[in-house]
Amino acid sequence: MQKQRFVFWTLAPAFTILAILALVSVAGALYFSVMDRSLRYPDYDFVGLYNYQRLLGDRRFLNALKISAIWEVVTVAGSLLVAMFLSVYIFENTRSARARNLICLAFLAPVLLPRVAAAFIWRFLYSPSLGLINYIAGLFGFGPIEFLANPKLALFSVAVVDIWQWGLFFTVIMLKLLETLPKDPIEAAQLDNAKTWEIHAYVTMPMLKAPIISLALVKAVESLRSFDLIFVMTGGGPGTATETLDLYAYQAGINLGGRVSYASAMSILLLLITTVVFTLVWRGIRKWSA
Amino acid sequence: MVSLIRRTFSRGFLALMILIALLPIVWTILGSFKKLKDIVTPVPTLIFTPTLENFATILKNPSIRDGLGNSVVVVGVSVLLGALFGIPAAYSLARHVEKKKDDLQFFVLSLRFMPPVAIAIPFIIIYLDSGIYDTLTGLILVYLISTISTVIWLSVPAFERVPKEIEEAAAMEGCSQAEIFLKFALPIAAPSLFGSLVFTFVLVWNELLLALTLAAENSTLPVVAASITSLGKEVPWGVINASTVILVLPPLVFIGLLMSFINRMVATGRK
Repeated sequence: MQKQRFVFWTLAPAFTILAILALVSVAGALYFSVMDRSLRYPDYDFVGLYNYQRLLGDRRFLNALKISAIWEVVTVAGSLLVAMFLSVYIFENTRSARARNLICLAFLAPVLLPRVAAAFIWRFLYSPSLGLINYIAGLFGFGPIEFLANPKLALFSVAVVDIWQWGLFFTVIMLKLLETLPKDPIEAAQLDNAKTWEIHAYVTMPMLKAPIISLALVKAVESLRSFDLIFVMTGGGPGTATETLDLYAYQAGINLGGRVSYASAMSILLLLITTVVFTLVWRGIRKWSA
Repeated sequence: MVSLIRRTFSRGFLALMILIALLPIVWTILGSFKKLKDIVTPVPTLIFTPTLENFATILKNPSIRDGLGNSVVVVGVSVLLGALFGIPAAYSLARHVEKKKDDLQFFVLSLRFMPPVAIAIPFIIIYLDSGIYDTLTGLILVYLISTISTVIWLSVPAFERVPKEIEEAAAMEGCSQAEIFLKFALPIAAPSLFGSLVFTFVLVWNELLLALTLAAENSTLPVVAASITSLGKEVPWGVINASTVILVLPPLVFIGLLMSFINRMVATGRK
């Protein structure tokens, strides 16, 4: 009896707050998405699915959808590949625990930076006239490169910053995971004269399948919220070359006349995409790890 | 001979990786102590007379000072509330909930993964209508979604690692549930719990979108920093670097702590 009361009073407050806030945002977004509310005029009417219908014919929205998809693939795959390669490389090429710890500390620093700070740091580095990167490129005879102003380069230049933060962070986690793996299968493979890369491709990485998939999930969802980085580095530009869904939703809802209903419809779609991806992968993880 | 070359190469490669990880940050810190004329040079300068001018400019600027103060209050209070509500909930979830545990954890995790835009847009209308737009209370309230769910998410495993025997022994001695939680489980799990709070702190300290959308005058440091770029016609790189350093300091202080936290999570996550 006393135990039940304890459980109730520990769980109820936290979950009540969470449930109310979640309900407010989801139900709120749903409600406003079928209205024609704007921030300028407080009066509004019911318009049904009109906002959704308009979204599907909105070139800028379809472009944002495409940019978001490219951004997801590049940053998720980039971070994971960097992490797999570097963690194996460090695992094989360092012996002392101190050296490894030093590397890990250095690799953790970027991800701890606020995204806004990381964005500033790299805008400074990328600057065509006074940036360090263009200075180094100049030493090798490459003219100043407009990393952020060239529509073809901008998205990838921002993605590099994201991979700099998350790829190095995942490297630390993967290195720690490699250290916890049992030694026997690796030694058995060594006895069979397997090459180092073969051991990692066929023995260690498959053993780490479940954690790698969870990292991919974390990164996939985290990449969907790269607003801070892109907002400060390019503001979605040049043109709409780096405008992802959350940037466009922000622009539409706040700046372009405060079309909050239109932005609500967009965020509902974004929420749907996130939920579907998230649920599928969550089920997958539980199936694999069970 | 071959192994010597290989070793030199791998050392060089690893050193280069560390350089790539740290140089951008170090360069920014150096830049924050430079006068503008030492920044705007065709050849990057390593030797210069350091100046505190940039930091002085920043700390004299009222909007940055307010931003810093607002950040401390908003992040402090929301993490504190997150701990107050989240930690006991995580304990019960880890120890006493069996049937609905997966559902509750899924709910918590799905909140962690909600796109901030989807939260920001409905909340801005509700805040404007109810008059708490541009208040610290409004920001704290909306940050509770992140802080409570993150604290629960990271603290459940911390409590699961507390040896059950200790709690059972305490129960035999006649301790009440609350006593077992406060006197035994909490102290044993404390180091991991602290790690999860640090993680939550960094997360909210870095947040931009919600603060940008739900506040105007009373915003947090990231928002103020993001708006500095448009001061005057010449980009004040020195000042931007200095404000970056101020933004970066609190999270970087915790780097060692976060490291041991990761070690513990990974070590017990796989067996």
